[in-house]
Amino acid sequence: MSPKLLLLLFLRRWHARIGFAAVVFFLFLAVTGFVLNHSADFGLDTKYVHAAWLLRWYGIAPEPPRQAFRSGRHDLIAANGRWLLDGRLSGEKFPQPVGLVELPGMVVVASSTSLYLYGKDGALIDRLERNALPAVPVQAIGSGEQQLVLRTARGTFESSDGLAWELAPRDAIAWSAPAELSAADRERYAALLEPGISVQQLLLDLHSGRIAGRYGPLAVDLLAVFLAVLSLSGAWLFLKPRHRRERH
Amino acid sequence: MICAARRSLAVLILVFGATAVAHGEVYQEPGAFVAEVLGSTPALKVLWLTREMQGQAAAILGHPPAQLRQRYWSDAHKTVWILEETGKEELITAGFVVVDGRIDHVRVLVYREGRGQEVRQSSFLKQFKDAKAQGNRLDRDIDGIVGATLSVGAMERMARLALLFDRLSHDNAHG
Repeated sequence: MSPKLLLLLFLRRWHARIGFAAVVFFLFLAVTGFVLNHSADFGLDTKYVHAAWLLRWYGIAPEPPRQAFRSGRHDLIAANGRWLLDGRLSGEKFPQPVGLVELPGMVVVASSTSLYLYGKDGALIDRLERNALPAVPVQAIGSGEQQLVLRTARGTFESSDGLAWELAPRDAIAWSAPAELSAADRERYAALLEPGISVQQLLLDLHSGRIAGRYGPLAVDLLAVFLAVLSLSGAWLFLKPRHRRERH
Repeated sequence: MICAARRSLAVLILVFGATAVAHGEVYQEPGAFVAEVLGSTPALKVLWLTREMQGQAAAILGHPPAQLRQRYWSDAHKTVWILEETGKEELITAGFVVVDGRIDHVRVLVYREGRGQEVRQSSFLKQFKDAKAQGNRLDRDIDGIVGATLSVGAMERMARLALLFDRLSHDNAHG
């Protein structure tokens, strides 16, 4: 048997073996790559997976909620960038609140650099960032005579609607203060407020191999080498017999 | 080894998270933009979005508007809107000036995405000059930018929303 024929047989055999062995991985890479390419169309950039086992795998230790803010019939518990306002979960990446006050027709949550104004039904009326606030950082939020009051390093300001602010003349202000949660409540709220991993991030880590740590990308690199070998051997197997026929 | 893998994953997430925040670049404070456009900062006005208006805004955005109260500024001729919309993952803050139902001026004020900052360049933004509403879209095609497709889409949606809000604010003013 000629060396060329031997090489051809060798290549054909290994082309088939590598292709068969890697079919699951290649399909996996193809599917995750396709989904990642259309992640915005599928809305994956805004979806999060909340699972304790996944957090453990990622090495993320959830921060348990320790305090609650209460005002009238409303309460807010926050942890891990998530808010539970009157039992309703917010999205992700929310700031740490400094207080909560109830006003006629609205509930206001303050962070150090923003205010969130909610209607009584929980719908967001407005989000005021630092440029719409009289001063930042906000140190405390309170209410007095149906006015929203903010304490900052530059003074204490009040507003009835969060739009027009003026220096607060009054002393009788009920400042929002955190209340410690009981151990049972901490445990209950910790489960509700555990952090999430975005689906897009998860897919990206699966696709790149990073989900398996430092050696994961090397394994994906190896698959890339296999793919290159398959392409080259496939091309050779495709062209070589044709080349021979053309010579005859 | 598994612990090391977990640590590196957690670090990656923290690094990417921190990077996303660090990338938030303020090109101009919204208040400064309003003052520049109107010469001073006139009294703030408010457009409350009724259920019907929310539906109209949702048809443009592809999702319900984030909030029910939209702040804006105006003088005798123009209205100024500071709007926010998500590009890929983060919010883009942009200022829109509307005159006679046409976009007069657009500026990207805060850009928080890791890439796609090209949408702030005047060569891109000048495409919006004199754009009018046509259905739920603009009356023209806006040329995209390679690598910034989602940010370009967000800018188009915000421009169309500014035109809707401008019309609604005039409707409200005239009763």
